[in-house]
Amino acid sequence: MTRRWRYVMSQYAALAVNILPPFLYLLVFFYVPMSILLVMSFWKSGYMTLTPAFTFENYRLFFTSPIYLRALLNTFLIATGTMLALVVLSYPIAYYLARFSPRHERLILFLIIIPVEINFLIRIFAWKIALGRNGIINSALMSLGVIDEPLSFLLYSKFAVALVLVHEWLPYVVIPLYLALKGIPQEIIDAARSLGANRWDVFWRIIFPLSAPGLFASFVLVYIPMLGEFAVPTLVGGPSGYMLGNVIESQFLSAGNWGLGSAIGFVLLTIILILVALVLKVAGLERML
Amino acid sequence: MDGPRGGLRVENLYKRFGRDVAVDGVSFDIKPGEFFSLLGPSGCGKTTTLRIIGGLLTPDAGRVYLNDEDITFLPPEKRDINIVFQHYALFPHLTVYDNVAFGPRRQGWPEDRIKAEVGRLLEMVHLQGYEHKYPRELSGGEQQRVALIRALITRPQVLLLDEPLGALDLKIRQQLQLELINIQDAFHITFIYVTHDQSEALAMGDRIAVMNEGRILQIGDPRTIYENPINRFVAYFIGNTNLLEGRVAEVRPGGMARVHIPGIGDVWGMCRHHCERLRVGLDVAVSVRPEKINISRTPPSEPGYNTITGLVQDIIYLGVSIEYIIRLEQGLTLRVFQQNLADDARQVITWDEIVWLYWLPAHALVLID
Repeated sequence: MTRRWRYVMSQYAALAVNILPPFLYLLVFFYVPMSILLVMSFWKSGYMTLTPAFTFENYRLFFTSPIYLRALLNTFLIATGTMLALVVLSYPIAYYLARFSPRHERLILFLIIIPVEINFLIRIFAWKIALGRNGIINSALMSLGVIDEPLSFLLYSKFAVALVLVHEWLPYVVIPLYLALKGIPQEIIDAARSLGANRWDVFWRIIFPLSAPGLFASFVLVYIPMLGEFAVPTLVGGPSGYMLGNVIESQFLSAGNWGLGSAIGFVLLTIILILVALVLKVAGLERML
Repeated sequence: MDGPRGGLRVENLYKRFGRDVAVDGVSFDIKPGEFFSLLGPSGCGKTTTLRIIGGLLTPDAGRVYLNDEDITFLPPEKRDINIVFQHYALFPHLTVYDNVAFGPRRQGWPEDRIKAEVGRLLEMVHLQGYEHKYPRELSGGEQQRVALIRALITRPQVLLLDEPLGALDLKIRQQLQLELINIQDAFHITFIYVTHDQSEALAMGDRIAVMNEGRILQIGDPRTIYENPINRFVAYFIGNTNLLEGRVAEVRPGGMARVHIPGIGDVWGMCRHHCERLRVGLDVAVSVRPEKINISRTPPSEPGYNTITGLVQDIIYLGVSIEYIIRLEQGLTLRVFQQNLADDARQVITWDEIVWLYWLPAHALVLID
């Protein structure tokens, strides 16, 4: 064997040692199960039965059932509404922290991040205590005489799901936005103003477009996972806060219809992949970097 | 329009950041179409002064007038003053075309006029065909050219330039210096040029204001600043100079003074600033520019020179000139420039030789401050 050949082989060996373990892990625990689910979604499926076949019956069932389509619509309503609320809430916070550099900038950032460290279930149950019929908010409002009856929309509603999701995801929107805004050099804003841009122009023509990478990052980090949410709607959503994640979960865990569950899962996955592709195209991220 | 526009006057500007006084009573008056340099070391307050003129900062006290109109509290977008920044400050998400068109669009120019003007200015700075490139695709020199025409396209009355060439290589810097001078000539716009590079200020400015620690020390044309510095700081900061510290031994009418320099003896010098304070016993510095000193193996043949001897400690070959470092008594050294006249074999002086140094009293400045 020539020395050159041995060198090439050693390079390949090094590469293999580096990428093989993660590749195998993903293969065994992600690609194989996903493939099985994909195959299953085309099988004949019923309560606790699964017969190998090739049929679009599961997909047809999903797209013809008003209940499932309603859950799909609900999912997008809740996720989109929550995302909008998150952006509207986060932008001023991130803007204030990044552009005005208040004295306690780091402390405020820390306070925003800290809820992430609190156990997810504890947070949800805390919200249930606050929002319930006899919860803190209702009893406070009643004793103040603002309302006579407990507000029923507070818990087990789309509102409750959105509220808890906002709380859960806020740091993941604030931080990318903060970083994007912090990265805009002051000189650029000064240049725009000296060229005759008023505050409105400076924001919409300079600051907002330059913060877009932060918005896209938070979209991918937050909006996409929210589409697959099922724990929050299960605990605080009630019937009107029902999301597609709940449908999928129940097909697997209670309805016993794995074929239909897989099919709905892949419908959601396809929609998400299309959305991500669109976002990347619109954002033109490679152009901005 | 009535009369030339672009005259700018600042009066007693004062600005503090926390406990630091950045600008401490700065005043000057710039004529329309003048190329005015603000020169000083970093942290001397020159950029703060510029930002106050541009409206990016509000002074704690003092006034800014443009054509005798008080604009001290006018926001930057309402001032007919544009700025070119050291790091170009191009909008990274916009093309070259949209960057240059930014100002005209704020003023509501029709798009066909913008298009024609952007094309014309790009050609002027040798960037024709660059319309659709993004700033990150350009070199530093190209980016600064774009930033320059972006600031010029609307013909502001005053253009502020904040170390615009500071981030560029020497070659590109020299080329852009020339282009800037030509552009300023062609546009007749008042330029206020901030720099810490004294050679740049000397080469480019009609007038120079030398700043240090928030104050203006001296304002004058390049020759005056160089030949007649007002104090030790200006003498030392502009060009290189030899500063000899001593004490006045004799004063003659007309500003002539004999100064005793410990270890060297007495030298004659001229006083040109604050000479009414000149009296025997006063501590002063004598400034002699290295190129004004003659170096020779023999003493001067004519009288009237300040003459000393020293030992050649170092020779630095600079191409156009040769710099000698001459050691005197008491650890003093003098820098001497000689023009490089290679055919003059007599002049070839080497290390460790004892040489004569002599210069005219008119070239030795007595500095009181």
